[in-house]
Amino acid sequence: MSACRKLSWLALGPLVAACSTTATPDLGGTCAVDDALTATCNLTPDGGAANLGLVGYGCTGAGERPDLEQAQYVDGIPQGIICADETPLPDGGVPSGPQNYCCTSARTPCAYNPVAACGAGTYGYECLDINRPESYNPDIVCGQGVPGGKYVEYCCAGISLPPGCSEFDGLGCAAGLIGWNCPTSPAGIVPKGQDLAANKSRADQYYLVCSVPTLSPSGKVNNFCCYPPAAVPPGGACVQDTTVPGCASGRFGFSCYGEETPSDDYPPMNCPDPGVPGTSAAGFPATLYCCDYE
Amino acid sequence: MAALLAGFGCQSQPPIPALPYTCAVNADPSTPSLAGAPDDCSDIALPPEPTLPTPPTDPACTLTAQTGTTADNWIPDETNIDTMRIQTALNTCPVVRLVTDGGANNAFVSGPLTMNGVTLWIDQGVTLYESRDPNNYQANKTATSPGDCGKVGINDSSACTSFLTVMGTSPAIVGDGIIDGQGGERLIGHDYSWWQLSSALQTIDGSIGNPTMIDLKTGVTSFVMYRITLHNSAKFHVKITSTPPGGMAAGCPSPGAGFIVWGVTILTPSRWLNHDGLLMSPHFSRNTDGIDPGETSFATCGAMVNNTISTGDDHIAIKGGHGVSDIRVVHNHFGSGHGMSIGSETYGGVDGLTVCDLTIDADSRPVGEGASPGDMNGIRVKSDSSRGGTVTNVQFRNVCMRDVNNAILMSTAYNPLFSGMKIPQFSNILFQNIHDVNCINTVQPVVTLNGFSALYPATNIGLDNVVVDWTGPLAVSTEFAQLDLGPGPVNFAPYLAGPDVSVSPPNFQSPSSPAPINCTFPVLPAPVVPPGWKN
Repeated sequence: MSACRKLSWLALGPLVAACSTTATPDLGGTCAVDDALTATCNLTPDGGAANLGLVGYGCTGAGERPDLEQAQYVDGIPQGIICADETPLPDGGVPSGPQNYCCTSARTPCAYNPVAACGAGTYGYECLDINRPESYNPDIVCGQGVPGGKYVEYCCAGISLPPGCSEFDGLGCAAGLIGWNCPTSPAGIVPKGQDLAANKSRADQYYLVCSVPTLSPSGKVNNFCCYPPAAVPPGGACVQDTTVPGCASGRFGFSCYGEETPSDDYPPMNCPDPGVPGTSAAGFPATLYCCDYE
Repeated sequence: MAALLAGFGCQSQPPIPALPYTCAVNADPSTPSLAGAPDDCSDIALPPEPTLPTPPTDPACTLTAQTGTTADNWIPDETNIDTMRIQTALNTCPVVRLVTDGGANNAFVSGPLTMNGVTLWIDQGVTLYESRDPNNYQANKTATSPGDCGKVGINDSSACTSFLTVMGTSPAIVGDGIIDGQGGERLIGHDYSWWQLSSALQTIDGSIGNPTMIDLKTGVTSFVMYRITLHNSAKFHVKITSTPPGGMAAGCPSPGAGFIVWGVTILTPSRWLNHDGLLMSPHFSRNTDGIDPGETSFATCGAMVNNTISTGDDHIAIKGGHGVSDIRVVHNHFGSGHGMSIGSETYGGVDGLTVCDLTIDADSRPVGEGASPGDMNGIRVKSDSSRGGTVTNVQFRNVCMRDVNNAILMSTAYNPLFSGMKIPQFSNILFQNIHDVNCINTVQPVVTLNGFSALYPATNIGLDNVVVDWTGPLAVSTEFAQLDLGPGPVNFAPYLAGPDVSVSPPNFQSPSSPAPINCTFPVLPAPVVPPGWKN
């Protein structure tokens, strides 16, 4: 989640968490139950009819969604329905026109998160319980959950998740580093724990620490060398930043918001040069470092 | 009340009497364990008990210890370690036997070893120690990098080579001796141990690259472990991939044709204090799974019989990342640990597991300060949508547990954070003659029976004579599951309700008979508990 997005959500959070009201902006559209769509929603993947507890909605108006209408926080507990879009949505998951959804009929401990930092056709939910959104709505797919305070945040899509990065051993990364390929479009894609193959321990380590990428000759792929870091010490304020000016491909850029250095938060990092005042990729004042994995 | 508890196998209480320190001397429980009646598992075909091999006649194949350890000084000298001479013998002898010199020399110390289709026989009284020098295990050393094995803060599960790499046809590790991984002892050149390295990653549930003690490679057939004792592995104790000759396609021509683990004892840690006086515990010995069939590749047609396991992670974990079938786990006893587990990887499929006559005793070995409920687990079938697959035709029969916190856990959201399209699909799983005895536990034992969703429910989940002491509505969780109850009692049946849960018969009334199965828990070899420790 980018810092600006997170800050905006943190600002909104207390407003919606402190009372039992919805977080529904007036979007000028409407959503209505569609019986024909409901029947379609409850088909199993092989075409058989099943009672999956889903309800079909047809919505009009830009930005209108059934789960947005019903998202609420009761005593800080997220509640709402979970909706799978029936046709792909644009980045951020905000529809620009009519859209159909298959939604859970009952409320779940997940609430649609209108300010989630979900890109590339996905949209966000905050969930309290251990179950992922897919357990409530089998028509949806979600990425790796990211703990955020007492909630877990998910980015989801009704059709399929956009392609992510993939491991690639042929980059000649140093010992201890794993090679990755990531698409260059949309911009800003970096490897995440959810991109690891199923036979790898993902742990809870959603974020990998990655080098400044090298653009492949085709121009379609960024190559990274990454490692899954140990836990950053409490209060650690350095985050990876693959856009540090002057930090060459293959080295590791960091933005630090406190007095710590990347070597404090990420022990394998050696930062031979002092930090330089600048602006982080997220747009905040920070001390920028360029480091090497040793 | 005391008589009733004694009938269940509880010791007089409180407190639990101190357990005699017999570790590393006598690995056999002093009393037999039993879940149910002696012949309850007699319908399960087992292979004949393995035998020790004929002693090698070539003197070069019998190696005599050149150093020694004692009860007071258990760190072997590594000045002249034995890697070269053991490896040479393993390269040339069909059977390599490690023996004492008849006196004080009773120890071997070695770095990584490889054995291909041969037998390693460790005599009674002999301990084969793993070297504490991480430089002996560097897996990714290059001209420009020393490698990450032994480094703090590196979440790299492939940083170190395994201690004993096993390949080929019919390899075996046998004998009444010990392999000691020294996982809790200070590493050479460092002021920390393997386990401290692993603990440093605990907050992120990271995967440390410590050496696995025994690591079978793809292609092994008819592997045998017999009577050996394993202590203090730096990471997993045994990773098994082994099939009958002919591989997966051969099916299971006879029980145990794929692999046999018989009479093996795993006790980790083997003492509560390391040589520097630091406290150790099963909780501290993280990632020290006992036996993991299927971890590396296929594991089929296996028999694990008469084993005793107490460790800091799963006792036995059936790893279904590649494909596991026809496994029999019979007449085993577990102490503290994370349970008799399937998963979390199940995407290769688990088809055919029978567990019968298993006792799991959380009281036998204290887990130490900082322990979590997960350190005292019972039966677990666990997966999630990042690594799920089919788990079917599984039976847990005649299982006794004492004071475990998760008595039965069937979870499709083992880590709900993980994403993916590999949906866990559990079916045809029977829990029969299960009794969880509560003696001194202060945490209510939990039963969890969860499928994934309404589209992917857990189906044909049988519960027959399953009794969990001190159960209640807040200790039972179920959703997305089709449960078949009876004919025997299921004392938590009234609490089996949740989203998309069906119970058959719908109005099941738990009968009063038959009685819960009898449970006899052995006294597990364990060190004396340090003063002030909580049991």
